[in-house]
Amino acid sequence: MNDAPEAVLPSCQIHITQDLIDEYARLSGDFNPVHVDPQAAASSSFGTTIAHGCIALEPVFQSLLRWSGLPNLPPQARFRLRYRAPSRPGDTIRSQVQVRSSSQGQVQLSFACLNQLDQLVIDGDCDFPL
Amino acid sequence: MNPDFCYETAKLGQVLCSGVCAVTADEVQRFRSLLGYPSTGDIRLASSSMGLTYGLRLGWEHAIFPPGVVRMGDDDVFGVPARVGDRLTTTFSIVEKFEKKGRRFLRYEMRTLNQDGELVCAISFVGLMP
Repeated sequence: MNDAPEAVLPSCQIHITQDLIDEYARLSGDFNPVHVDPQAAASSSFGTTIAHGCIALEPVFQSLLRWSGLPNLPPQARFRLRYRAPSRPGDTIRSQVQVRSSSQGQVQLSFACLNQLDQLVIDGDCDFPL
Repeated sequence: MNPDFCYETAKLGQVLCSGVCAVTADEVQRFRSLLGYPSTGDIRLASSSMGLTYGLRLGWEHAIFPPGVVRMGDDDVFGVPARVGDRLTTTFSIVEKFEKKGRRFLRYEMRTLNQDGELVCAISFVGLMP
């Protein structure tokens, strides 16, 4: 852990493919057709399959771990977030994470996940105990 | 199973389902590899983000997500890490029910404890009901 937190954390990214979504479905048990059935998804409001929201959030976890040097989030770490837009196969999602403040053994950060068109996919904030 | 589960039938505080799963080396490895975690470090440690998945299989198996439900946002708290060999108990409940601008929402909570009763994660998310 850095003594003086940096204002901007390292950015991480993930490239979304249908294979990745399918394997995530197998691991999580979430086989919602909108994720794994291209035919069903084509007739949904999305028009194509979309990634599980947690996949697009993954770069935020990895930014936090890279910055903190920890193998996992510390106990009592907390995320509050909104899913703003879907991610689709072919998209590359990257994280933007910033330190907002630090007090009483806790760092408050804000984050965003953006796609390759700089469209906002997820945003939120995080309490990160030191 | 809850074939009739919907906004109207959902009751606040009601435990919808509960289940136990074992954390396996195969799943931890597959998850880490899929999402691009380094192959170095403690490979018996389940990444924090895997906590987002523990209850999903359970939720789908018990049909508590009405077709067409959309996940809008999360409020997630992380506790002690899960490790290969742990036995995790996840309990699903409804913690909030509200209407806004003519739309109806349920807040689900997936609360996962390890075999020692320690909190691994409490994943809370709002679903926009169809």
